[in-house]
Amino acid sequence: MRRRSFLIGAATAAAAGLAGYHRTRITEVPANVTYPGMQVGHLLRDGVALPSPGVTRQHDVVILGAGISGLSCAWKLAREGYKRFVVVQGPEFGGNAAGGYDDDLAYPLGAHYLPLPSLESTHVREMLADFGIILDGATTARPYYDESILAHAPQERLYRNGRWEDGLLPMTGLPQSDQAQHRRFIAYTERLREARGQDGRKVFAIPLVLSSLDPAWRALDRLTFEQWLEREQYTSSALRWYLDYCMRDDYGAGIATVSAWAGLHYFASRDGHAANAADAAVLTWPDGLAPLTYMMRDAITRHLGHADWLLPGSAARVTEHRTGSDVLCIKDTASVYTIRASRVVCAMPLFVAQHLLPEIRDYGYDPASHASPHAAWLVSNFHMKSYPGEAEGEPLAWDNVVYQGKALGYVVSTHQLLRVARSPRTVFSAYQALSRLSPAQARNWLTQATPALLRTESSADLLAVYGEDLWRHVYRLDITVRGHAMATPTPGYLNNAGLHALRDVDGPILFAHADLSGYSVFEEAAWWGIQAARKIVGI
Amino acid sequence: MRDRILILSVLIVASCGLGYELISSALASYLLGDSILQFSSVIGCYLFAMGIGSWLSKYVKDEDVLNRFIDVEMLVALLGGVSAAALFLVFAWLSAPFRAALYAAVFIIGLMVGMEIPLVMRIFNQRKAEFREIVSRVLTFDYLGALAVSLVFPLLLAPRLGLLRTSFLFGMLNAGVALWTTWLFRSEVRRPGERAMRCAVILCLLTLGFGYSGKMTTWAEKGLYGDEVIHAETTPYQRLAITRWHDDMRLYINGNLQFSSRDEHRYHESLVHPGLGALPWARNVLVLGGGDGLAVREILKYQHIEHITLVDLDPAMTGLFQRSAPLIALNHNALNDPRVTVINDDAGRWLESHAEVYDFIVVDFPDPSNFGLGRLYSVPVYHLMTRHLAENGYMVIQSTSPYFAPRSFWSIDATLKESGLHTWPYHTYVPSFGDWGFILAGKRPDYDIPAQPTVETRYLDSTTMKELFHFPADMPALAMPPNRLNEQSLVRYFDEDWRQVIR
Repeated sequence: MRRRSFLIGAATAAAAGLAGYHRTRITEVPANVTYPGMQVGHLLRDGVALPSPGVTRQHDVVILGAGISGLSCAWKLAREGYKRFVVVQGPEFGGNAAGGYDDDLAYPLGAHYLPLPSLESTHVREMLADFGIILDGATTARPYYDESILAHAPQERLYRNGRWEDGLLPMTGLPQSDQAQHRRFIAYTERLREARGQDGRKVFAIPLVLSSLDPAWRALDRLTFEQWLEREQYTSSALRWYLDYCMRDDYGAGIATVSAWAGLHYFASRDGHAANAADAAVLTWPDGLAPLTYMMRDAITRHLGHADWLLPGSAARVTEHRTGSDVLCIKDTASVYTIRASRVVCAMPLFVAQHLLPEIRDYGYDPASHASPHAAWLVSNFHMKSYPGEAEGEPLAWDNVVYQGKALGYVVSTHQLLRVARSPRTVFSAYQALSRLSPAQARNWLTQATPALLRTESSADLLAVYGEDLWRHVYRLDITVRGHAMATPTPGYLNNAGLHALRDVDGPILFAHADLSGYSVFEEAAWWGIQAARKIVGI
Repeated sequence: MRDRILILSVLIVASCGLGYELISSALASYLLGDSILQFSSVIGCYLFAMGIGSWLSKYVKDEDVLNRFIDVEMLVALLGGVSAAALFLVFAWLSAPFRAALYAAVFIIGLMVGMEIPLVMRIFNQRKAEFREIVSRVLTFDYLGALAVSLVFPLLLAPRLGLLRTSFLFGMLNAGVALWTTWLFRSEVRRPGERAMRCAVILCLLTLGFGYSGKMTTWAEKGLYGDEVIHAETTPYQRLAITRWHDDMRLYINGNLQFSSRDEHRYHESLVHPGLGALPWARNVLVLGGGDGLAVREILKYQHIEHITLVDLDPAMTGLFQRSAPLIALNHNALNDPRVTVINDDAGRWLESHAEVYDFIVVDFPDPSNFGLGRLYSVPVYHLMTRHLAENGYMVIQSTSPYFAPRSFWSIDATLKESGLHTWPYHTYVPSFGDWGFILAGKRPDYDIPAQPTVETRYLDSTTMKELFHFPADMPALAMPPNRLNEQSLVRYFDEDWRQVIR
């Protein structure tokens, strides 16, 4: 053997050995996958025979569902001094605002932030003041917030060309004409925030029902957002990516699918201010919006003086009588009970309500023609035992987005902790709306997908940023599959007659859910819950 | 005769082999701390590499054994000899890949050393020695060499020569063996002249390194701190280094100066006495940060203080200032005082999870140089501290320099006011820092500067105490917005202010 080849061989063997050892340390953790509500939901859909009821309980009001709508309804009732109600929790406390916990770490299993409420969102301001989140000036243009709840700087960053940039809309390294379009779009939506229709109402308001009915503006609901961008000559690919990202993030579908009115509503309706934060500030907790559900729960218990108002199980059937309704509830497969109540609040998605209420068409809502498409989501919590190395540019922010990435980026759950040193362990919560597939295709794919396939899907953005090195830092991965996570506002959704009919229902049955607005955000869910409570107490 | 000399080579080769292993382990524990981990991992890696080296030795052809042995010796001499110096420079100038460089060096040297003994055995074998003779003689001298070095290294070499020079010395010995063997077997070795030349060059290089290692050490450490390092440690939270130059002892955290023993009394007297001197009834004191125990030393001077709670994140930091003799001399053994409780926890978490109320709170956090630290200077954190502050008590906050970073200083003042506190900003001159600022804050609206310190002080007296609160015309109070968590403007101010000062 020649000396040279021997030396080269030895060095190569050593290098290969080291590299191989390094590589073998990369092990992708298995994914724990949960499908909240799927089992009971599909039982209802498939019309499985229900066991005969056991005990019957009598209550004045029963609220079906403990998501934001149901809890808001109960919170408002309790706050108004009304005590004769119960809540049937449903499959998951908090619903889309649920949180997850592991030792000292908290992380979101669904929605993770709430923008500063605008002046129209009086119901949200009232709630935040009740919980001590707005400390002062709840009815003023600039309330004073508990700063620890506002997303701390650095709030967001964008991974583009291997570097982290500040802000999500790219402004550098683009042709002058593109930059001009970006500025034009920002200026336009800023003007829209002040815009009022012929009827004097704000054109774009949250809650949506307070928006102007001016037909000139509502004509935008006949176009997709993409068609509107085409018409207004917004051609910049960076701007279109950004808008598409925003639409997928809030509506679960891109600019080609959502209504132009909804697209502009996203930018023009959120005009809340704070006395002690920038305008783009949002409210967030380590576990997303889950703390708001706990604050509502605790406030209700405090007003009622007991915690027995929250019943386990899910409603399976609502049968109307002359004197009220019977609600059949499944506690688990073996145990069933009935609640007899004079009023029932259906605080659940409409695609579930239609199976509980076979006569839902009598209320003017025909699922066949009025149901909104519901987008499928993955919320994936990567439990990190350490932090992967960061690329050049801005440091780790609360919200981290990949330019032209496959998914919607990730938030850092420990970002809001007030600590001297950064938390030794953390959770990266990656969001993915399966918008590249139609909702039906996405759900079909989800029922087939193995945990390993779901892991590949949910880690797309994190792998784009950190590479395989990511897996060296992950010790646990929880994927929450929400097959029908949110309603998507497609063109025509403002004039959905079925939704209009259900909003106005005021009898033994009431409906309360963000679905009534045709899209899914905390403010709308809370609005319909509180509207139901108002109908019950007559204010 | 030749065989006897060859067996002597085994002794030297074995000594050097163990020597590199010990040097790497010692260097790793010196630079990284946690000596048990460093020693075991380096020895493990080294032995494993030696195993691979032994296995690879079978690929050396019989007719090449002697040549390869000399080559291996030269390589070991060069790599092993410069390894300590190279690693030290890697650590001083590019701290990130140090671990990778360490294990790579250990592995490659181990690989080469692992080939030595099998090759020597085969040389004997070719010389028709009896097998049981070979094994017994080679291994006897192998282990004897190991014994020699394991005693000489800690007792003589490391303390007298230092790690760098010792490593060059071992390299020279290896190169010597190569040269000697070449000469001895010049008739059998291929191209003996060329080989001898190479050996000589390597020997020269190593001798040069040996001569200059003293300079190299100083250069590397000066690159870090400018002075001799007497203790360096990397903890999970930070890198601590203590340097000494004559009677000046300095603590650096992540390369930033924390104090100089020459003038730290100015900083710590000014931090503690204006506030605590005005609270003759105070019993309970809380210190956040300040793991060096120097603020605690000042607080302990008051006989009426019954208890001090110190919350510092890093157990390595407080441990160092509880155990090291020169540092105990500096803080007067404050952290071991029965009146003091040391808690190693994150101050943010500790404040959230405890409810005790204190008469005086000293907040000695690092400067707001990044977003993580900036949030410690915020209304929610001050609210949290206020919950722990007695109605009549005061708290004092280290607030960067009102001269070099005026916008940062006055922004901290505005943040304290925003959280509902009354403030009394003041400053002092610390030669090693420059003009440094503090803000005294309280729920009560009144504060009278103590007429004079009621305890023994080196710097403060009745005149200097009053002057602390005077801001001359070139350091006017600035109207700054408070530091909002959502924007953290303080971090930007701090960065911009200091960038104007530091070249």
